[in-house]
Amino acid sequence: MKNRNIIFIIKRLLYSILVLWALSICVFYLARCIPGDPARMALGERASEEVLQRFRILMYYDKPALVQYYYWLNNLFHGDLGVSLVTRQPVLEDIGQVLPATCELAIYALIFATVIGITIGVISARYHNTWVDNLGRIAAYFGIITPSFVFAIMGMLIFSYVARVLPSMGRISPELIYTSKITGLITIDALIQGNFIVFFDAFKHLILPVVSLGLIGMAEEGRITRNSVYNNMGKDYIISAQSYGVPEKVIMFQLLLKPSINPVVSILGLEFANILAGAFLVELIFNWPGFARYGMNAILYKDINAISAVILIVGVFVLLGNIIVDIIVGFLDPRIYLMEGRSE
Amino acid sequence: MKKTIFSQILYSEKWGNLKRKWYKFSRNPLSIIGLIIVSIILFFAVFAPFLTVHPEAVSKYVNFSEAKQLPSLRYPFGTDIYGRDIFTRVIYAFRISLLMSGVVILIAAPIGVILGVIAGYFYNKWISILIMRTTDVFLSIPPLILALSICSILPRNLLTTMMALSLLWWTWYCRMLYGLVTSIRGEFFIKSAELIGAGKLHILFNEIIPNCLSVIITKMTLDVGAIILIGSSLSFVGFGAQPPTPDLGGMIASGVQYLPDAWWMSVFPSINLLVLVLGFNLLGDGIYDMLTVGRG
Amino acid sequence: MVIMLNKKAKILLIILFTVGILIIISSMGIASSPSIVRYSSDWPLSIDPAIGMDVQCVVAYINLFDPLVFLDSKGNAIPHVAKSWDVSSDGFTYTFYLRPGIKFHNGEEITAEDVKFSMDRLLAIGEGCGYIWLGKIQETEVVDKYTVKFVLEETFGPFIKTLYSFYIVNKDLIMANIEKPGMYGDMGDYGKKYVSSNDVGSGPYMIKKYNRAEYLLMEKNPNYFLEISSAPDEFKMIGSTEPVLLQTLMSRRELEMTNRWCADETLESIAKIKGVEIARWPGGTVTYIAMNTKRPPLDDIHVRKALAWAFDYDTAVKLFAGSIQARGPLALDLPGNDPNCFQYHRDLERAKAELKKSKYYGHFDEYPIDCRWNSNIPQEKMAMLIMANASDIGLSVNVTETTWALFSAASSSIETTPQLHSSLHTPYYPEAGSVLQSRYHSITTGTSAQSEWLLDPVLDEMIDDALSTVDENERYSKYKEIVKYIIDLCPTIFVAETPECVAYQAGYMEYPAAKGEPISAYQYENCMRFIKVDNEKREKLLKK
Repeated sequence: MKNRNIIFIIKRLLYSILVLWALSICVFYLARCIPGDPARMALGERASEEVLQRFRILMYYDKPALVQYYYWLNNLFHGDLGVSLVTRQPVLEDIGQVLPATCELAIYALIFATVIGITIGVISARYHNTWVDNLGRIAAYFGIITPSFVFAIMGMLIFSYVARVLPSMGRISPELIYTSKITGLITIDALIQGNFIVFFDAFKHLILPVVSLGLIGMAEEGRITRNSVYNNMGKDYIISAQSYGVPEKVIMFQLLLKPSINPVVSILGLEFANILAGAFLVELIFNWPGFARYGMNAILYKDINAISAVILIVGVFVLLGNIIVDIIVGFLDPRIYLMEGRSE
Repeated sequence: MKKTIFSQILYSEKWGNLKRKWYKFSRNPLSIIGLIIVSIILFFAVFAPFLTVHPEAVSKYVNFSEAKQLPSLRYPFGTDIYGRDIFTRVIYAFRISLLMSGVVILIAAPIGVILGVIAGYFYNKWISILIMRTTDVFLSIPPLILALSICSILPRNLLTTMMALSLLWWTWYCRMLYGLVTSIRGEFFIKSAELIGAGKLHILFNEIIPNCLSVIITKMTLDVGAIILIGSSLSFVGFGAQPPTPDLGGMIASGVQYLPDAWWMSVFPSINLLVLVLGFNLLGDGIYDMLTVGRG
Repeated sequence: MVIMLNKKAKILLIILFTVGILIIISSMGIASSPSIVRYSSDWPLSIDPAIGMDVQCVVAYINLFDPLVFLDSKGNAIPHVAKSWDVSSDGFTYTFYLRPGIKFHNGEEITAEDVKFSMDRLLAIGEGCGYIWLGKIQETEVVDKYTVKFVLEETFGPFIKTLYSFYIVNKDLIMANIEKPGMYGDMGDYGKKYVSSNDVGSGPYMIKKYNRAEYLLMEKNPNYFLEISSAPDEFKMIGSTEPVLLQTLMSRRELEMTNRWCADETLESIAKIKGVEIARWPGGTVTYIAMNTKRPPLDDIHVRKALAWAFDYDTAVKLFAGSIQARGPLALDLPGNDPNCFQYHRDLERAKAELKKSKYYGHFDEYPIDCRWNSNIPQEKMAMLIMANASDIGLSVNVTETTWALFSAASSSIETTPQLHSSLHTPYYPEAGSVLQSRYHSITTGTSAQSEWLLDPVLDEMIDDALSTVDENERYSKYKEIVKYIIDLCPTIFVAETPECVAYQAGYMEYPAAKGEPISAYQYENCMRFIKVDNEKREKLLKK
């Protein structure tokens, strides 16, 4: 069994690297497809032809695509993601600044979505087809059908404008200067250093964006859990457990939960990456200096280097997420490993 | 039509099954509500020109003197900042939304399903690996970013946005079917069909796909809402239908800036968007309940 | 046991949550801070004066740096870094005598070396507003420690006024941080990387914190050579212009000024907040719809004139509160304008008559017209208006939104520049020449400033001649000729002269621009040293 696990993981890793390489080619090609002269974009439209030409030579834009790809890949391995045409700073630095902000959002949103979503789903399935179920389903629906930006704006209007309970922008209040960065996640850093004022302030700033982002995840996971539990409730082993008189709570938590969370867990990895990239509207509205907004600006401003870097990083996250999730799912539902064995 | 023993049993039970399933479907009030909502919306969408009083609201027309009117008898949902009747625009926007979802699903689903089934059935053969790795590449970029990137290269209009969405949507079907098929291909009825000597094509189309239909149809119904939502996020940034063509997402995006004063400009399209997506979701869930064997 | 633990855990969680929420609610309250002006602006920003030209960049430059001369609000040059100047009789040599004792933020003094370095750097990098002096300056000479001489290639009438946009940077500091190899030979990257995140200026404000993704926070320079004790202690530029966010911040007194170019509706909404008012003043901005004169069907002057006759100027003017219909490409009181030049008005009959004279008559559906606007609600309204007006005379116009980057890329060639472009223009220095050159000279074709692609050598000649005329009155009368010539060509629909509109906290802020008098110096109103903030009044408003 253990050997099979390791082989499985290694296989997945190798495949992922292959996928990453294919992704890098796609990304490179996509960036080159974007119409417009990158030199002109970087130096402004008033720059003289002479200056533009110098820039092109410096950046190898005059060389054929394959050569450019080689230099780009080379730089990638040295950690050089190029210079953003918009901020004129190394993309790596820019991303280093913005990525932790969105990671913080995404992690909290995921926790929110998962915990509350699974709870709603389990309760819904347990009391399925009664009013509790319908209530839960409607709550979940509103989560799914409300776009995150609509909720963000409503939330900001209600909680920040009308009732001044929550702050409306940024990660912490301006008077709190938070300097020492350990992980980049303000709440975690503050906790590590024992600075509770900063922690609570950052937490306050997190509430609205996190709920806006987590709503869709919560609703989806709620619904998936509900359907999954509902499905499994009809399975033979549950019915036999019931007829043996096993108490309700034991059935719910020990027999049903693990296989039912399977589909939820399998989308967790994707969820994280989705939030990472899809948070841009929420970040825009709350002026959150995050990765998604950075990526979105990169796309709108045709900042080639930034776009490539953003898509690659998101790709890495997704693939990593998938691998981790596959491993966890493998533990929860051994059928996958067994299938591997059978077909070989 | 070639039939195996099993599919013969399936077919003969079909009508009886349907009656039972309809009964099950109708027992849940939410699913009925979903059906009603979807029917109403479809009715409005199809008969839009006959139901609206201000047809110029969707053409090249501005009337600044009538701009920002409160909802009234003349303008049930009020007017927007260009003086166009919002009610008319919402009805026509249903058409656009349904068109977008319809086109994307009709392109993405068949491609995705066929590729997914092939990949799942021929597991571990080179074709499966090829398909799934390609899918992985597409799936490793979150849909919004991919859609944005593609849309930013192409000229901005509804057609290109639909193409961009189709390009990334088939991967969801592919992956879902792949997962499904890999778990059913070990089931007895498949093995028996293989033993009997049924051809690969037959197995794929007559054994596997009919058993996945419930999931596929559910997903298609739910996808209508999802596509409309992604479309609205894209409209927020200016892609999708271009003025003066109305689009729910675009209307919300432009209306949101005028909160809280001219609330009707964003509230009505939002409510209609929610109702539209809600309807399809309720319907989709009802279909799912109807087609799966649960505890009921 | 398992069940009991779960129950306990649940109760504990609930208690923790409630306590947490209570603490959160009780820890509200904003500590009082030094007097600060917060300003919402477009993003991103550049703090290198050789690179940026956008409004938000200039707002930063005007506070972080000192220009050689300053302008008063009417546009006349007054001494600043230069305390006096001489012009040679042939108009080719300008000598500036610098004021000693002006210090950069790192303590070094401004000398002629810094002035020469700044100009050389500006011209070498060639981005941003360097184009104003490109090709005009032959050499910059250091005569002695406080004297610098500009030798020009050709006479340039408005030269002194233009130096208001010439900012002095710290030569020693930049030279110590040049990166090699770079695009500029010996000069490496000319310090571009260093200057993009560091303070190399001498202005009334210094960089306190620059968070490139979010904001730029500046604090008052305690050693500034002019008296600025009543100016706000801090100035923060916040990089977001979302209307809902602005409204929320304004009502919580966390924002003092909004950016220009908010939609009228947003401004009115914000002005409803107690203590907030809208400041409006003429800044010389003209809103227009540019027509690409080299793409069919607009390459035919009759079609252009038809559109000019069909446009609904009255409605457009009503769209911009406080504006008047434009007379030609220049604002009414811009020096050099002709207040009596020809003005169109909406006349559908004449429009249709013009259309009939066109060679494309009957074939208009083969030539769809594309109209673009970028990221600015007032421009969207104009685009929609021309779309409706055009369909009144049978022309089909499609309106598309675009981003500035996309539009800039599309402007680089005739075929990709859209036929109609709804935009606006503010003069960079207070003279007609600034607008006429930026908008109609062949030098600016291929940039987003000119979508008309006029490429008219006669016009170029006239503009160059006017700009090199040293005598003011002669220059102004030449401008009038040029305006007449341009209007005859009908390359643009001149819509309205729109005032700058900004919502600001009138309850506790003194904003000189709010008087409503015309301001000719670009971004003069955002010079923080002329603004006052009263913290006590702010606290009072907060408590209400």
